[in-house]
Amino acid sequence: MKEITIKIFNTVGSSSCVAADDGQKVFDLIKEGLRKGQKILLSFQNVEFITTAFLNTAIGQLYRDFDENTIKNSLRVEHLSNDDMVRFKRVTDTAKLYYKNPEKLENSIKEVLGE
Amino acid sequence: MRGVTLNNIKSTYDSYQQLISLYNEKKGLLLETIDISLDQWFDANLCSAFGGILDSLQFGLNDINFNYIKPEIKTIIQKNGFLSHYGFEKIIDINRTTVEYLKLKKSDGRYFQQYVFSELLNRQELPEMTAELKKKITESIYEMFVNAQTHSETDFIYTAGQFFPNRHRIEFTITDTGIGFKNCINKRFKSNLSSVQAIKWAVADGNSTKQGIPGGIGLAILKEFIVMNHGKFQIVSNDGFYQFDLSGETTRLFNGSFPGTVINMQFCTDDESSYSLSNEIIPEDLF
Repeated sequence: MKEITIKIFNTVGSSSCVAADDGQKVFDLIKEGLRKGQKILLSFQNVEFITTAFLNTAIGQLYRDFDENTIKNSLRVEHLSNDDMVRFKRVTDTAKLYYKNPEKLENSIKEVLGE
Repeated sequence: MRGVTLNNIKSTYDSYQQLISLYNEKKGLLLETIDISLDQWFDANLCSAFGGILDSLQFGLNDINFNYIKPEIKTIIQKNGFLSHYGFEKIIDINRTTVEYLKLKKSDGRYFQQYVFSELLNRQELPEMTAELKKKITESIYEMFVNAQTHSETDFIYTAGQFFPNRHRIEFTITDTGIGFKNCINKRFKSNLSSVQAIKWAVADGNSTKQGIPGGIGLAILKEFIVMNHGKFQIVSNDGFYQFDLSGETTRLFNGSFPGTVINMQFCTDDESSYSLSNEIIPEDLF
């Protein structure tokens, strides 16, 4: 099957990928593609700034709807600087932990309260 | 009615306490004139926190009257546009060391990005910085703005900044008049964290109040950047004060509560560190 390309700059309409709402637009496209069994290339060409809030929504929540292997085997990225890759990896690592252990946040609050 | 004088307002615990005391002393008033004097000094970036407080006081249809402003202060906060909200003319900032005071709706994210570009990234007066450092500072500011948009339940977000060319510093402050860290976290988890416990929980990596979506990385990344940059950041939320710099974390309680949250970031501009990590990530490991 031919790989499709999602151009992040065009989807967001800006070189700054900041808001969670913009991440949701990207997420919706990726989700649709993955449901159809597509291989997807995420192109960050001309993107200058990326927040974790954007990436959490665009990429992080994929781990709720798809298993890790499907994501790993279907998605790849291009034109992402090393610094942004560090940020990206941090988001995917956090997402994997978050969905594996949904009680973690509640437990961390109890720890603060000494319960 | 007794007026209030704010003296020597800088990004210190004592200065935030003065702002909180002003708010707490006047917050119950209705249809009154609140007389305020500004003396000694006022860091222009803290117009962000001051604007949030004055707006909160104006919910009681109170009139804000500046009965004395030291001339040096007046010039600066006229230049950054703050006093334009209170009946004064705006004056041109010839030295261009201020970053304009803005009162934004939560939905003004795109406008905020243009503002950061024109007021911070694209300024000739900006201290010379590496492109990498500029990117890091910009991303930190964006992360904090999005946090305010997402979590605070505020109507408005107030921002202002200041260059300190001789000290090689930029300070940038983002304030909301929303529910604060404590109420946001306690509402989400039905818990009873104090304001300081709530702030400390929120700055830990991966802790977020978002439901169904992972998060909680922005403040942790800011903290790591601040260490490398030798900068400083402060959070004032409800009655909690948190400061993080090279010497570590400091927390204190205020007498009274701030009506929302202030995030104040101080960046060192003569930092030539390389922020590239030695261990390069390969794209195949991203997912």
